[in-house]
Amino acid sequence: MWRKENGNICNAKAHPLRMRVLRIALDVPVAKIFEYLIDGATPVEPGDRVEVPFGARPRVGVVVEIAAASSVAASKLKRVERVLDGAPRLPAEWLEQMRFLSSYYQRPFGETVAGALPARLRSLKPLPKRAKSAADNASEKAQPPVGGHAPNPAQARAIESISVALGAFRPFLLHGITGSGKTEVYLRVIAQVLARGLQALVLVPEIGLTPQLEARFRRAFPSSHIAVLHSALEDTARTHAWLDAARGDASIILGTRLAVLTPLPRLGIVVVDEEHDASFKQQEGLRYSGRDAAVLRAKLAGCPVVLGSATPSLETWFNGGAGRYTLLTLPERAVPGARLPTVRTVDLRLESAENGLAKQVLEAISARLARGEQSLVFINRRGYAPVLACESCGWAAGCTRCSARLVLHASAERGREPGAGSLRCHHCGARENVPRACPTCGNVDLRPLGRGTQRVEETLAVLFPAARILRIDRDTARKRAALARTLDGIGRGEGDILVGTQLLAKGHDFPNLTLVCVLNADNALLSTDYRSAERLFALLAQVGGRAGRREQPGEVLVQTRYPAHPMFRALMRHDYAGFAASQLAEREGAGFPPFVHEAALRAEAKKVDSAMMFLRAAARLLEVPASVQIYDPVPHLITRRAGVERAQLLLQSHSRPALQEFLRLWSAALPASSSSGVRWHLDVDPIEFD
Amino acid sequence: MVTELQSLRYTPAGIPVVEFRLAHASERAEAGATRKVNAEIDAVAFEAQARLLAGGKLGRLLKAEGFLCAKNRRSKKPVLHVTNIEFMEGN
Repeated sequence: MWRKENGNICNAKAHPLRMRVLRIALDVPVAKIFEYLIDGATPVEPGDRVEVPFGARPRVGVVVEIAAASSVAASKLKRVERVLDGAPRLPAEWLEQMRFLSSYYQRPFGETVAGALPARLRSLKPLPKRAKSAADNASEKAQPPVGGHAPNPAQARAIESISVALGAFRPFLLHGITGSGKTEVYLRVIAQVLARGLQALVLVPEIGLTPQLEARFRRAFPSSHIAVLHSALEDTARTHAWLDAARGDASIILGTRLAVLTPLPRLGIVVVDEEHDASFKQQEGLRYSGRDAAVLRAKLAGCPVVLGSATPSLETWFNGGAGRYTLLTLPERAVPGARLPTVRTVDLRLESAENGLAKQVLEAISARLARGEQSLVFINRRGYAPVLACESCGWAAGCTRCSARLVLHASAERGREPGAGSLRCHHCGARENVPRACPTCGNVDLRPLGRGTQRVEETLAVLFPAARILRIDRDTARKRAALARTLDGIGRGEGDILVGTQLLAKGHDFPNLTLVCVLNADNALLSTDYRSAERLFALLAQVGGRAGRREQPGEVLVQTRYPAHPMFRALMRHDYAGFAASQLAEREGAGFPPFVHEAALRAEAKKVDSAMMFLRAAARLLEVPASVQIYDPVPHLITRRAGVERAQLLLQSHSRPALQEFLRLWSAALPASSSSGVRWHLDVDPIEFD
Repeated sequence: MVTELQSLRYTPAGIPVVEFRLAHASERAEAGATRKVNAEIDAVAFEAQARLLAGGKLGRLLKAEGFLCAKNRRSKKPVLHVTNIEFMEGN
């Protein structure tokens, strides 16, 4: 009998004739670990990738355990085809991270593991080969000085605090105002990590948006191997970067949230820059928070983690206040003499804004033009106009697949030739021609309502015909390389007036920029999402922080109809701490995170009624413990998206373990997604509700 | 007679539009008397008619044909949608 022989198998570690049971994670949507047999002669360890037969075709799995026995008769188990080599074995610490993420975010282990691997490591195709270049063998020892200014006292204190913590887990919150030299702190700490022969993991919101940061790392560490990891890399490049990181060849891993899922054998520090950024949260598959995963990662690796931001997320700030994170503060701009910009509101109730730009704003731009300085006009909405409407009957162009308006886009070139525009859905990507006439009443004179970047650019071109105007949004920046060149050019002083969306808000350093004008801040103020004030504050502080980063003082003008709003008051005082305190008090009173823990169950179906029915049934499926509260299901604000109708229900609990335990039982009890035409998923610590 | 003329613009679909104001002066029989008629009205023209008017001088005499339609949903003020234009000789 198989069971009786087990003890012997374990002791006789690799007896060539005896079979061993491998517990293997496979990329299938069931919460199950599969068992296969392997002979005693083949060397295999947990973390190895193996080829196994599964259904009609072979698959790649990851060995998670070499078991003493199976609960299934050995005759029913299939054999492992072969152990794959070429990639380093996945370390135990990495498997532990996957276990945690799988259980915390309620996603089957096999899918969690598969999602963390680059596509090539999930396939049976051989790994791409690459000749080792000289750079790969570069010595890490001869680090030149990092360069730049000598750190100011606050930077020096931060560097010192983190440096003495190297070698053990400790989370830091580096709260530094815009332009305070957070990057310099990272670089100097990383230099010490590299000197110890360890690896540094640096997470940034969107790598395509921060080419300057990558360039800065390359300048600071010219002889180090830097692996860059983000989702827009093509397959081979991503696989190489991943392998370089996993083999320990790369000493700095710079990437977006997915980089936190890379095995790193010698991890010495984790940095999360702009930790408040919403893009750290993955919105599909494994819905993890890259920031929270980074803290876990550091804990598993026994190294410090630095969360950096000018406007930390309230969750992180709360953790800092509670003493869970060590707070390090950079209260001054790094460049001597540089100050935070003056922030003023322009009251749109008193001042008419023809074409969306108030007179004060236009005068401020004129003054910059006269002095040869750059201005940034910030409007967080791309396209020409958000609505195309018929003023005769009230019709507005809508998306057939989404419950949303279509956005009017003018033709790409300025001085647009007529008729080349299009209507686009910013939710599903649908695109159609502009109708000649209103489909309801036949009126030909359809009007664009509101303003996007294109329309603002057009207006400015008319008002300032001699100025060089650059528009930067997702439409002009389709290609990363092109965007990098444009941003570089702006840094060198190209462009007099920049019109841009939040693409321009993040991290860029434009020395000659002294004016930032914010056009449509009010939209976010009127949002029902309890995070909208926090996000608007962060966005405005970020975008405003682009102004006056050198000797010339910067100015920020915010057009609004609500100049007395406390958010603007705090922004004008540059008082993040005060703003955060008032927001936290509101959240505590209203029972929102970080004072409670949340999860959302979302359902998608052809008709919202089915989704609602599913959610109502789900809410009654199990007895809900008193410590967990389930709210009534509600359709999404944008109920229909890309032809699918959506609804969600929210769960809250003061106890994270209680919520976790309930979610575990609940997700196991919910019917499989495909069964009823309703697809569902759980989102733990959700941050988007639209 | 055209008394006000805005510059030619295009709808988002690329159709040329011009908005203008027309003045009318004539004499008509009414209740047994001949009375002088004076009126002004906002007008709009599209495509070929818009191009004909655009860039022209004010004060040109013309014969316009078209229909009346409310300005928009909020204002029921009539606007003359000119569908045919004939410029009078001697302008």
